Amino acid sequence: MTTRRILYYLKIWWLMSKNSFLMFLVQKEAFAIFLFGKILRFGFFISFLYFLLSGSKTLAGYNTEQTIFFFLTFNLVDTISQFLYREVYRFRPLIVSGNFDLVLTKPVNALFRSLAGGADVIDLLMIPPLIAAICFLGIKISPNFLLIVSFVALVLNGLLIATAFHIAVLSLGIITLEVDHTVMIYRDLLNLGRFPIDIYREPLRGILTYLVPIAIMITLPAKALIGLASLKGILVAFLIGSISFFVSVRLWNFALKKYTSASS
Amino acid sequence: MKRYFTIFKISLQQEFVYRLNFIMWRVRNVIQIFLIFFLWDSIFSAPNRVLFGYDRAKILTYVLGILVIKAIVFSSRTVDVSGEISSGALTNYLLKPVNYFYYWLTRDLSSKLLNLGFAVIEFGILFIILKPSFFLQTDFLVLLAFFISLAIAIFLFFLILFITSFIPFWAPELAWGAQFIVIVIISEFLSGALFLLDILPKAFHEALYLTPFPYLLFFPLEIYLGKIAGLRIVRGIIISLLWSLVLWILMKSIWFRGLKVYRAEGR
Repeated sequence: MTTRRILYYLKIWWLMSKNSFLMFLVQKEAFAIFLFGKILRFGFFISFLYFLLSGSKTLAGYNTEQTIFFFLTFNLVDTISQFLYREVYRFRPLIVSGNFDLVLTKPVNALFRSLAGGADVIDLLMIPPLIAAICFLGIKISPNFLLIVSFVALVLNGLLIATAFHIAVLSLGIITLEVDHTVMIYRDLLNLGRFPIDIYREPLRGILTYLVPIAIMITLPAKALIGLASLKGILVAFLIGSISFFVSVRLWNFALKKYTSASS
Repeated sequence: MKRYFTIFKISLQQEFVYRLNFIMWRVRNVIQIFLIFFLWDSIFSAPNRVLFGYDRAKILTYVLGILVIKAIVFSSRTVDVSGEISSGALTNYLLKPVNYFYYWLTRDLSSKLLNLGFAVIEFGILFIILKPSFFLQTDFLVLLAFFISLAIAIFLFFLILFITSFIPFWAPELAWGAQFIVIVIISEFLSGALFLLDILPKAFHEALYLTPFPYLLFFPLEIYLGKIAGLRIVRGIIISLLWSLVLWILMKSIWFRGLKVYRAEGR
């Protein structure tokens, strides 16, 4: 992809995101309620987690700070992917109504439009405080430069896997016309990463590491910063991230051929 | 009575129209239970550990109990009321010879029956797979108090959901936002569906008991597990009944005020 092409898509993303933000901001009360709701849920969870660990002292061998760090990493990956890929949640009506034809006929990659066509401003507002909280807590863990680089690289790898999941949801949406529950099941599975993957027993732990790689998306980056990830584990994570993305794009290409344009 | 029985039957049949949706909804419930189960399983990995007043058997019973109680209390069709008010579809019901509240209560009960059936099967499967320690309550009086508290919980949740659903009378665009805060967040956290309320500091815990939320899930489970007894059960039942009365009056009052401003937009 040339630099010119990248700039072209960045411009389109900016225009689509601006429209999406304006749509949100038109309904100020709803915007305020959802923002308040997200902050409230985050606050509740952190508070309960803190009180829980005040009593139990550790969770699967991790202390309070480390456990909260896992939770913050989960939130970072989850919030960024929701910010970028909110349009996935609006994909089903396009397919059911046949209006996806209008996306296919435009000079923009249909996957790009379906995936990133409506960034979520509420999640955008949540990202800076989250990063600040991660930095604040991360410093307390005292990582060296290499561990910080590993953490950032693995979070990006986690976002690549999240992208793959969202592409798979879109593809399944074209094939089965079902998006809403599929994406919510993905969210529920991702929620299993709120706590370190070490709490789960086998075979669930293995499934969450290799089959539905929640562990690689969330637990591994946090472990890398704490200094508990091996080089082999990190390399396997990047391999799984690349394979997931490759497979999801193939699935999308396959699904596109199944699109019937019904109802249009 | 016959008409509500018919509504019950039709509503049950409607649940089967979107079978995939229903099955996926149940799958989601099981996934959510995994998170809570393994969280507590990990904390109580030492067999003799007692924490927050629970031993391993009681805490794992609590977690599996959440699956069943949530199916009974939290499964509901009343969640659609706000959408009907904002779309104007409420008009159809106002013209029919049915009591709007009984209509939705009946639909709720059919949804609860179906969800309970699935939850029991899931409970059995999870029990076989996870092989948790389990606390079986055999005291008849405790079980009676448990079922009474459960009936109150069903009614309380119905009232909370209905009151929240009335917001679109004044602000149609806030239908989902209000439910997101009250049902998804506040009820979930403050009912004990995710974390035990015993982990909170005593003052918070006591204050929370003056709100209706712990009576949705935590209180019935506490009774079942024998964590509270005697006067504390009676006190809890009285408070939850008082809340039911207050919320019923509030619901009726908001309903009549809402009808005065209802303009059937979209119809």
